[in-house]
Amino acid sequence: MRNVLPPVDLAAERAADVPVRPETARFSGGQAAEDGRLVLAARDGDRSAFELLYDRYARLVHGLLLARVSRDEVDDLVQDVFLAAWRRLDDLRDPAAFGGWVAMIARNRATDFHRRSADLVELPDNLQARGASSARAEARAALDAIRSLPEAYRDTLVLRLVEGLTGPEIAMRTGLTPASVRVNLHRGMKLLRDKLGR
Amino acid sequence: MSDELKSDEYLWSGTGEPDADIAQLESLLAPYGHRGVMPLLPARPVRRRALRAIVPVLMAAASLALVAGAAWFAFAARPGGWTVQSLAGTPSVGGNPIDGPSRLGVGQTLITDAQSRARIAVGEVGRVDVEPNSRVRLLESRAGEHRMALDRGQIRARIWAPPRFFFVNTPSAVAVDLGCAYTLDVNDRGWGLVRVTHGWVAFEYGGRESFIPKDAVCATRPRFGPGTPHFADAPPPLVEALSILDFSPTENVNRAAALDTVLVTARPHDALTLWHLLSRGSKEERGRVYDRFVTLVPAPAGVTRDAVLAGDRRALDACWNQLGLDSASWWRLWKSPWRER
Repeated sequence: MRNVLPPVDLAAERAADVPVRPETARFSGGQAAEDGRLVLAARDGDRSAFELLYDRYARLVHGLLLARVSRDEVDDLVQDVFLAAWRRLDDLRDPAAFGGWVAMIARNRATDFHRRSADLVELPDNLQARGASSARAEARAALDAIRSLPEAYRDTLVLRLVEGLTGPEIAMRTGLTPASVRVNLHRGMKLLRDKLGR
Repeated sequence: MSDELKSDEYLWSGTGEPDADIAQLESLLAPYGHRGVMPLLPARPVRRRALRAIVPVLMAAASLALVAGAAWFAFAARPGGWTVQSLAGTPSVGGNPIDGPSRLGVGQTLITDAQSRARIAVGEVGRVDVEPNSRVRLLESRAGEHRMALDRGQIRARIWAPPRFFFVNTPSAVAVDLGCAYTLDVNDRGWGLVRVTHGWVAFEYGGRESFIPKDAVCATRPRFGPGTPHFADAPPPLVEALSILDFSPTENVNRAAALDTVLVTARPHDALTLWHLLSRGSKEERGRVYDRFVTLVPAPAGVTRDAVLAGDRRALDACWNQLGLDSASWWRLWKSPWRER
């Protein structure tokens, strides 16, 4: 059986066209328990346990950073985030909350990056490589359009369209309810189409 | 269904009829996605947690979480096969070379040659890297069960589903995931070897079971089934002797000497190996194993030698609890459904 929710009530959405944010992040029980076990093992120095956490959350962290900072910086920042998480594992009060915690580190890292490098401007693709294709310029325009959206839409669309996560996977990794993710995807996509003139 | 609802379904689940705009955006933006590798990690100071006071609470919560997790994974399982992508060279699915993301359907075979490797996304439960010169088949992909066969070659599996959702059939045993990462090899004779790098794996065949924790390995052979697990750093004479005990007929004249070697060379850490031998071999052999076992770990209270030699489950479980493995508490949770199957 697939994790398929009923279609979003489009009429109701139009009545309240704002991003849906959860009051508290909720992670699926199985994943949270597994995360907790991995965190406890990693705290004792088990690198393979941390590698499993990396496999599970690298795309989330990458997507959250890509939604906020220059793509040239994202790979380095992803590494920074996971190194920080590795060093600070003992600070994580609830090991099962690793997903929300590492996402918070990523958001804070992006904020720090902007604070320290306010004058940096991302180079357009057509300056980075001669003969850049129109597809690349189009991709850049699409990414810029997504980044201009409100945060909740921006994050879910980057995770869906760039990182290739499905709605249920986004919900599982972010702790948002599937319904919230679905609504944010739908509303964000509608705004994105408007911005791109599609 | 209206176009808007079709589009919404594709946006949500990535299934169904693709919306042209969304598919184009996916294609355009995919190169910006995550491609990095995990950073090299500096050493961490070993930290021991004092959790004894809250272990009962954690155990109860873990039980609930396991049930909830199992339900989630059963609900979220996607039918229709697994996604495959090439990591190197040109693997083939169903005889057709793949050069981009592809689908491995139930009943289909994935083959890698000497130059190719592939990565399989096992629904939402994990991933399997298929190494060169390997042949794997997808046998089942449905709610509650993902099962593949490794006919030959090597796979590296990382599974984050709750225990008992992912199975690998080999010619001589079934590897049952208990929440873990492991490497599994099968040679052209059908001999298998599992190396566990995280968590636990169970090897099962014909009623014979082996439970392999992190840092342990276990061999398996046709006609005999799974052998006895041992830690990867076990003394070589012990490992060699185990292969005689595990994979030779009971009338083999070298068995007694092999058992002597195992008992003499076993370290306290190797009590895991001896625990498995408590339920294998003749009664006389099992008696000798028990006598050595209780010199390596404290004898379990309230358990008699006779009960262990009789194969009493409670007695064997009590012996298991003396092993002091880090994951024993989790093991207790997993074992019940496994044994009661």
